[in-house]
Amino acid sequence: MPVTSTFRVWSSWRARTKAASVSEPLVRLRGVQRRFGQVHALTGADLDLFAGEVHGVLGANGAGKSTLFNVLGGLLAPDGGTIHVDGVPVSLASPRDAWALRIGLVHQHFTLVPALSVRENLALGTRGRSLDEIGQAVEATMDRTGLRVPLDATVASIGVGDRQRTEILKTLLRDPTVLVLDEPTAVLTPEEVSGLFQLLRDLAGEGRAVALVAHKLDEVLAVSDRLTVLREGRTVLAAHRNDVSARGLVVAMVGDGIADEMALGVHVDAPTGAGAGAAAASRPEVETDPEARQVVAQLSGVCGERLENVTLDVRAGEVLGVAGVEGNGQHELALVLSGRRPPAMGRAEVPDEVAYIPQDRRTEGLVSEFDLTENIALGLARLDRFGSGWLMPWDAMGEEAERIRTRFQVAAPSTATLASALSGGNQQRVIIGRELALGAPMLVAENPTRGLDVAAAAYVHGELERLAAEGVAIVLISTDLDEVLGLAERVVVMSRGHVIDVPADERTRAGVGALMLSGGGEVA
Amino acid sequence: MTGGIAPARAREAALLGAGAVVLTLGAGALLLLAGGYDPVAAGAAMLRGSVGSWNTFVSITLVRSVPLLFAGLAVALAFRAGVWNIGAEGQLYAGAVAGVWVALTFSGLPRPILIPAVLGVSCVAGAAWALVPTLMRLRLGIGEVITTILMNFVGIYMAAWMVHGPLQEERGVFPQTDRIVEAARLPTLIPGTRLHIGFALGLVIAVALAFMMRRTRFGFHIRAVGAAPEAAAVAGRIDPARIVFIAFLASGSIAGLAGAVEVSGLTYALYENLSEGWGYTAIAVALLAGLRPGGVVITAIFFGALRAGAGAMQRDAGIPAAWVDVVEALVILAVLGLERVRAARPGSDVREGET
Repeated sequence: MPVTSTFRVWSSWRARTKAASVSEPLVRLRGVQRRFGQVHALTGADLDLFAGEVHGVLGANGAGKSTLFNVLGGLLAPDGGTIHVDGVPVSLASPRDAWALRIGLVHQHFTLVPALSVRENLALGTRGRSLDEIGQAVEATMDRTGLRVPLDATVASIGVGDRQRTEILKTLLRDPTVLVLDEPTAVLTPEEVSGLFQLLRDLAGEGRAVALVAHKLDEVLAVSDRLTVLREGRTVLAAHRNDVSARGLVVAMVGDGIADEMALGVHVDAPTGAGAGAAAASRPEVETDPEARQVVAQLSGVCGERLENVTLDVRAGEVLGVAGVEGNGQHELALVLSGRRPPAMGRAEVPDEVAYIPQDRRTEGLVSEFDLTENIALGLARLDRFGSGWLMPWDAMGEEAERIRTRFQVAAPSTATLASALSGGNQQRVIIGRELALGAPMLVAENPTRGLDVAAAAYVHGELERLAAEGVAIVLISTDLDEVLGLAERVVVMSRGHVIDVPADERTRAGVGALMLSGGGEVA
Repeated sequence: MTGGIAPARAREAALLGAGAVVLTLGAGALLLLAGGYDPVAAGAAMLRGSVGSWNTFVSITLVRSVPLLFAGLAVALAFRAGVWNIGAEGQLYAGAVAGVWVALTFSGLPRPILIPAVLGVSCVAGAAWALVPTLMRLRLGIGEVITTILMNFVGIYMAAWMVHGPLQEERGVFPQTDRIVEAARLPTLIPGTRLHIGFALGLVIAVALAFMMRRTRFGFHIRAVGAAPEAAAVAGRIDPARIVFIAFLASGSIAGLAGAVEVSGLTYALYENLSEGWGYTAIAVALLAGLRPGGVVITAIFFGALRAGAGAMQRDAGIPAAWVDVVEALVILAVLGLERVRAARPGSDVREGET
């Protein structure tokens, strides 16, 4: 029986590790280097993973966390440095090598086949067993871990949260002794995150080494035994959790000078760009009385794909938070509100120009084979202030790109750097810089801090608040309840395509969470 | 992902192309050895037959490169927009048939009207041939790779039927049309050679396309849609369907022009099997050029030289001209393979851009 055999492997592993010496790390990385063109992603990363521990890896965007994990998973060959597993020097030239050493990587980006069912995707990672047998093993693993996924649905039809769970299950099915997770929590609900963390603790308790990247400091602190902090591709801190403070970690992540501001959530650079100033001038004055504020966008009776009779006003200067479990129509709402998709039914009055920070920055936000200037031009060249002729205003675009690169501190050597060479956080900076330069009266942001580190997320939040203060209407769509509750003045919940207003007195984690799950009761 | 062909930046594209040529000619030489031929003698014959003298180069190599130039530009334009137009061959025949029909029917018109009419109608015919796969993709979601290939057969046999039927010569002996009137023939570009003005027209189109891609909004939109249609739509608010529609039809018209230019510039009549598979060779031409219009000029001449040299090789060294077909196919494989290797290489993600 595969079920029992899975457990047998687990227990035999536990027996082995108990016998092994505790002081020797299971995995030891020393001085790992990796370069992408002119971008040095890793310049000297060290990492020790011990059996039986959960190890948190922290770092600002572009610090090299994902690169380091991809090296561990055999996806990227390092340019320098050494890797020891069980004290033996190894080369991880391919994922196959990593798997031979029982190192399992859960990817930050999904590696599932959309056209296949979840069950078939899970089967892809395993060999020599029938679908039925794999199904039993999957059931057993789901029971054991509490990670539940719809096995017969195609991956294309399930939400991001289910995809993330499928990725984790797929890796667990192969029974790794070293489990490496790159941002597993970004798309999970708070309950799911705590469930996952319990699971990681259990797995570590069985004698495995678990390493994860997560962007919320408190999350990492809650689950980890030891921590490693990367900065600019180098390990700057490796310590036991009890030996460091949250503040000490932030300092290690971002370096000294700006740590205080970062820790307080203050944005680092003042908005001084010419474009931002000009844009602000054209915006309406901010009314202090919410009711008197100008309505910027109005949806009435909007129906469409995953949208059911949505009626919604968005007013100048407010931050409207849209909470909800992934896949309940938020993306479709974002497309309609930002003017990217006309509603199938109903009326949508939205401004001509709406800034939009899409959820999937790699496919909707940027063209990865375009350089920074071209990606900036993708959003800005259509603006009237860059003329309306049939020629591209490349000179102006180059200047805009350089301005955005410096003001938003994009870690790229020049504006000729391709978007694909940037880390997720830096890609997000480019998108935010571009969309803010539109000077639009409304901004729709969909999970704008997903996958960003503490400092970058604070920066994004600061920008959103600054814009709202300037009179821009902000629609913040997020699956991160803390983000919505922390920033939004008004909160709605999306559930199965319906928009449900959250009364002021229910604007708490518990209140909104209940609405997210119940769908408001009467509508559905 | 619809395809793995990234439009590489200029220098990378040149390096990649040179690498592919070296690999391919090396493999081609091995094939000759395996077949019992002397690669050195073959190479000498090839050079003699393609660039052996000024007249050989102009009257044979350049003349043979003209249809490859047009068809190559057509394919490069489409591929850049993410449109996998494999149908240049059929569009070329459609253009040739339409062009020759205009030249035969309106033979009384003066040259300044007749030649533009021949070329203009061939553009429309090429675009019309591309319209079927375009609509099938945009309205029905059917991939254009299959539909354009199938339309090639329709085009080839339509032209064959024309020269056996409605457009057959007055005498009714050979499967070909009558010769077109003097006023429908393209003037010579370089006196004393067979090189006609069609070559110059191809260069003008190449320069125009290069300018369009690099400098104009429309060219930028083509590149954006070709590279990432979702980002083009969401971040750029570009309508990808509109770009695909225009680029597909424009590609068809340039391919149609290839057929008409060949007839009115060189053969002066439409034959069965007018094309030596130029519409397919054009894929190799475009890929080897990194889908860059400027590069297409060079690679079209390169393939023109190969074709020209193949004749000499067959004559002087007894090597079957089919060898060149093998080389053309190998070029496509080499380009695609090298492109993958380049993409996987560490440090490949940062390239120097020209814009």
